[in-house]
Amino acid sequence: MSLLASILATLLWLAKLLALWVLKPFFVVMFAMNVAVILTWADRRQGAMIQDRVGPNRAVAWLPTRWAQAFVVLPALGVVAAIGFMLVKLEPAPEVRATRALLFCQLGILFTWLTGVFIAGRVQVRGVRSSFDAWIYSLGDPRRIFYGGLAAHVLTLFVAVTFEGAAAEQLTDIQYGGGAGLLIFAILFGAGYAAFSIRNEPRIGLRLAGLLHPAADGLKTIFKEDFIPPNADRMLHSLAPFISFFPALVVMAVIPFGDSLCFSGVSSKDFGELLPLMPANGVCPGVQYPLQVVSVDVGLLYFFALAGTGIVGAALAGWASDNKYSLLGGLRAASQMVSYEVTMGLTLVGAVMIYGSLRVDDMILWQRDHAWGIFVQPFAFFLFFAAAVAESKRIPFDIPEGESEIVAGYFTEYSGMKFAMFFFAEYIAVVTSSGLMSALFLGGWDLPYLRPDGLHVTFGGNQMFELALPHVLVVVVGALGFVLKTITLCWLQLMIRWTLPRFRYDQLMRLGWRKLLPASLANVFVTGLLVLGVASAGITVGRFVDLLGDCSRAFVALGGIAGFVYFVTFLLRPVHKPQTLASSSAQFAASAGGTRSVRMGA
Amino acid sequence: MKTETAPLGPKRVTGVPVDRPKRTAGVQTYIPEIAKGLGITMKHFFQNTKEMAFGQRNDPSLEAVADGINTVSYPEQKRPYPARFRGMHRLTQREDGSPRCVACLCCSTACPAQCIHIEAGEYPEGDPKRGYERFPKRFVIDELRCVFCGFCVEACPCDAIRMDTGIHASPYDSREQFIFEKDLLLSFPGRDGSHQTANPRHEPGEPTHPGIDREHGH
Repeated sequence: MSLLASILATLLWLAKLLALWVLKPFFVVMFAMNVAVILTWADRRQGAMIQDRVGPNRAVAWLPTRWAQAFVVLPALGVVAAIGFMLVKLEPAPEVRATRALLFCQLGILFTWLTGVFIAGRVQVRGVRSSFDAWIYSLGDPRRIFYGGLAAHVLTLFVAVTFEGAAAEQLTDIQYGGGAGLLIFAILFGAGYAAFSIRNEPRIGLRLAGLLHPAADGLKTIFKEDFIPPNADRMLHSLAPFISFFPALVVMAVIPFGDSLCFSGVSSKDFGELLPLMPANGVCPGVQYPLQVVSVDVGLLYFFALAGTGIVGAALAGWASDNKYSLLGGLRAASQMVSYEVTMGLTLVGAVMIYGSLRVDDMILWQRDHAWGIFVQPFAFFLFFAAAVAESKRIPFDIPEGESEIVAGYFTEYSGMKFAMFFFAEYIAVVTSSGLMSALFLGGWDLPYLRPDGLHVTFGGNQMFELALPHVLVVVVGALGFVLKTITLCWLQLMIRWTLPRFRYDQLMRLGWRKLLPASLANVFVTGLLVLGVASAGITVGRFVDLLGDCSRAFVALGGIAGFVYFVTFLLRPVHKPQTLASSSAQFAASAGGTRSVRMGA
Repeated sequence: MKTETAPLGPKRVTGVPVDRPKRTAGVQTYIPEIAKGLGITMKHFFQNTKEMAFGQRNDPSLEAVADGINTVSYPEQKRPYPARFRGMHRLTQREDGSPRCVACLCCSTACPAQCIHIEAGEYPEGDPKRGYERFPKRFVIDELRCVFCGFCVEACPCDAIRMDTGIHASPYDSREQFIFEKDLLLSFPGRDGSHQTANPRHEPGEPTHPGIDREHGH
């Protein structure tokens, strides 16, 4: 019996170890591939939105109304059950009780105003149908609900920080119960309202804004004919897509997607338990679990070395296809990528001089302690961005593809899944280059004032606000920040694709060798001078530089909050459109209540 | 006396000189122009995405002149046809559900495409209608030949054929499906949902019948 138990324990330990080491690569690969798939959709969708078209949104899965209601209500019930379990069974330690109470409160307020704004928006669009609708309509502009929610957020935070002693304990009790109650109420009410408001629909179309399209496209490409030209080099022709696909995927390995998790154990063989709270100095007392697939000293060089081999795939595809256009495209791809590789490397020399390391995780730590790379090396950021777009062979630098001149360039002779792999590799390259840029210039998983043990708002050495946060929460929020930054940069690359026309080939080469390359060299020299100057200057200059770092952090934090507020108010701004009833068809439409949302007939 | 005549030969073209676009430092460095272009595309992107996501996009029929997405997502959305739209034919009904048509062949005579085929039938002996009107034993319209000119509707003296169904020509997959027989034509309602017309029908033998009949001569 004890043998069985020990075998079970060993198996459990092995599974735990395996999970810990397999999860990271799995997460990174899934992240890169899924974001790439979503990007293929987002690209088309974005192009449509920019040109006032609808774009691909016709793929739809019809759900019976009962199922749709279940999909809304069951997860909500699950979350509520989890919160209830936390309330009843998991009484927190006294030192984290106040934090958890505040979190409950803030989440409760967040979900309350989100639900309110959601319902108010629906009522605005489809009119008042019940007395509750009438009440929420009488509140007026949905932006008022949002402002009320913001005020409640700030007020609770302020109250929680100012109270001390016995009053604080009492307040914690109120916040603990009240916050959790509000959270449960908001979730249940929102889900209930959504389920109730769709009860009369015959069926619910699951469109996911058109996200079913890339899935359908992926399935389609797998089953399409795989054509190889008769005189092509069969092996190289088949190998090329893999050669360009593989490096695009593996370069994510050196980019950390979150702060290290800290365990209480002593060695990587026995992790022990996750620390509930990090010590104030931020140094992990146990064993660290870096959220990065491999942490190698050559970090950045690994990225460039592997990203560089992507050229081979494109060149091979062009050569092996036995097609003049493919060959031209392959040659263009090779020369373009080699040219821009030089600029890419040189723009980062300045950043590497400042960070003092080639490891991407060290660079992020430096940025957390000083300032984000975009403030330290703004010029390098723009140069690197341009070079990275050129490196991923995308508009305005998609001359290797050049469909107006050379059909489709190096993948002219590809079809089915091999073609899709080239396409996919291109989008994955967008994701990985965005990931690298967010790690090098936007602080990676670092968010302003978020230290390992919690929130510390400081300016010029003065502690202005302090809040201890659970270790897991800090790491998860940081990882979400990294994902958000990466997606924003991807989005920016797509936006550039839909804004700029394609360069001519000589313009591309001139831009690369005569503009970007000298500019990046100048950046290296200026950065070197500045680094030497700051290092040899006195303590006053050092203090001034630190103050600049504080300013940058405050700028990011305040700008982020202001941007969020502006964005939400933009979303909630009511629309007023001029209506014209000039024709009899418009009169018919008006008498039918408009044709905006006429349901599909039988 | 001297008369003014236009000069022979090709007309002289007078052009307006247009300045070359100014190649300012901003244009030359390209970056401010990129920012401007990005600003425009982003404005459209955010506005349209928001309107799509929150169901605020333009009504393609009522708000067609407003900024934003004016696409009609057919067939979920349909632009209503104008009041005088000539759609598929229908045969109007009398109150008892029989066709108003008296098989006078005016419509098939007027039809420029010759797509209407009518076989007339006589009412049985003793029926008050016998001798005054006939009825269509068959009434067939080949909707593939039809050119939707509306002459049949104008020619009809009895308001028996109409094109006010609001149904546009349907896409079928075989020619047989375009041969519309009497029962099908009778089954279509008008756009007001009625199978009849607003014009009253006065049957022979009824006191409101205005014309001559066997009892009432001139």
